[in-house]
Amino acid sequence: MNPQDLKYTAEHEWVKEVSDGAVRVGITDFAQESLGDIVYVHLPEVGVDVEAGAPMGELESTKSVSDLFAPVDGTVTARNEQLESAPELCNSDAYGEGWIVEIRLSDDSQLEGLLSASDYEATIASS
Amino acid sequence: MSDIGRADLLTSPLHRRHLSLGAKFAEFSGWSMPVEYTGAVKEHNAVRSAVGIFDVSHLGKALVRGPGAVAYVNSCLTNDLDKIGPGQAQYTLCCDVGGGVVDDLIAYLRSDDEVLLIPNAANATEVVRRLSASAPAGVNVLNLHSDYAILAVQGPASDEVLESIGYPVGHRYMSFVDVEHDDVAVVVCRTGYTGERGYELVVPNQAALSVWDAIMSAGQASGIAAAGLAARDTLRTEMGYPLHGNDISMRISPLQARLGWAIGWKKDSFWGHEALRAEKAAGPTQTLRGLVAAGRGIPRSGMSVTNSAGESIGSVTSGTYSPSRKRGIALALLDCRVADSDHVYVDVRGRREPFVVTKPPFFTPDVQERQGS
Repeated sequence: MNPQDLKYTAEHEWVKEVSDGAVRVGITDFAQESLGDIVYVHLPEVGVDVEAGAPMGELESTKSVSDLFAPVDGTVTARNEQLESAPELCNSDAYGEGWIVEIRLSDDSQLEGLLSASDYEATIASS
Repeated sequence: MSDIGRADLLTSPLHRRHLSLGAKFAEFSGWSMPVEYTGAVKEHNAVRSAVGIFDVSHLGKALVRGPGAVAYVNSCLTNDLDKIGPGQAQYTLCCDVGGGVVDDLIAYLRSDDEVLLIPNAANATEVVRRLSASAPAGVNVLNLHSDYAILAVQGPASDEVLESIGYPVGHRYMSFVDVEHDDVAVVVCRTGYTGERGYELVVPNQAALSVWDAIMSAGQASGIAAAGLAARDTLRTEMGYPLHGNDISMRISPLQARLGWAIGWKKDSFWGHEALRAEKAAGPTQTLRGLVAAGRGIPRSGMSVTNSAGESIGSVTSGTYSPSRKRGIALALLDCRVADSDHVYVDVRGRREPFVVTKPPFFTPDVQERQGS
């Protein structure tokens, strides 16, 4: 269910290396399913520094709001502006068109600390 | 995430149907009820454009009967049952002696000696307790909370769906018909909480599954959707209908909530009448108002509201995202001096989000139902 080539966090986000030292971040299928219809994504500004584990934005569904956590330390280099008018992309295409931000890593080695697809699925199963 | 497995929660007689439809569940006043099936926005839109079916079996059901039952209920609840006759329903309130709202409910008048009450799930026991405690000899108050399912069929296509399987349709808003349908006694009410044309069916538990299945199958051609309580909440908020516990409560009076129309002021007495008359004479200092987002903020219950000078002017009592308006909407208890069209701000987790004070409803259905009778 979760793409094997991505990395994951316990906060139900995926991380994909898009170029040397830069990653794209989104939420997992489990996250979008749990949240329900996403109606607003509060994105961080391009250029801001984010810190792994700290909130960098918000995902709001019809029923609740959840923090969007930075999965790594780095600087936001792009955000998915499509989500402004079509936040439901996070539901309908969580691993594709529903990506959220891109972050330039402060240190490439951070990726090693993230979860593999199978580790992530084990996390969900035991929760 | 899910309350499916909690053994301490009550479930509807339709629970296994919800499970097979892949519903997500949440607790509502001790009941595990479907909050959504395929997605709250899709379900909301199905009700606005076609038809949706809701399981609202968690609502209370109480029968007051015996000689003079209606006269007795009329001496307790706020609205005036003398304004309606047998076969009609009325929105009314059960108030405390201090004028606080114990519950809001619908009364279905069958005869002078029988009235069916549909209180909220959380308050059904208390309403029954209060009515029982002062009932005159011969008038009985029966708590039938777990004996009946209630299915709400709501939306512009609700008539064609119910008519195709032989239910009476087309009766006036806030009226009802008792029918025997396939040997089952069903109350078919022209009521609802969505603002759309629709019906609420009170069905004995043992028949609930077959009635649900018949409606679902008859509704396929009309695009029927099973709709959960999340959609019910966005639908009712778009109409500005109050939810007990949020917009009316023991601390938010009917006058603050602008429900004076549901009070029989000409009656000699009803619970809370002295306090309510005094409040009416003095005028409430805060009233329930509507807010529509000017930006992207989605308000939630409890958030504070300020004016452009930064002064506190009240707080949000119900807030959500409106699928019809595609923006945040709220009901808020605000200082009476605030005017419609005023620009105000809601504190959304530290962000000062702009809103415009707007008289509900926030959405006008093609065939609008008016709350009350």
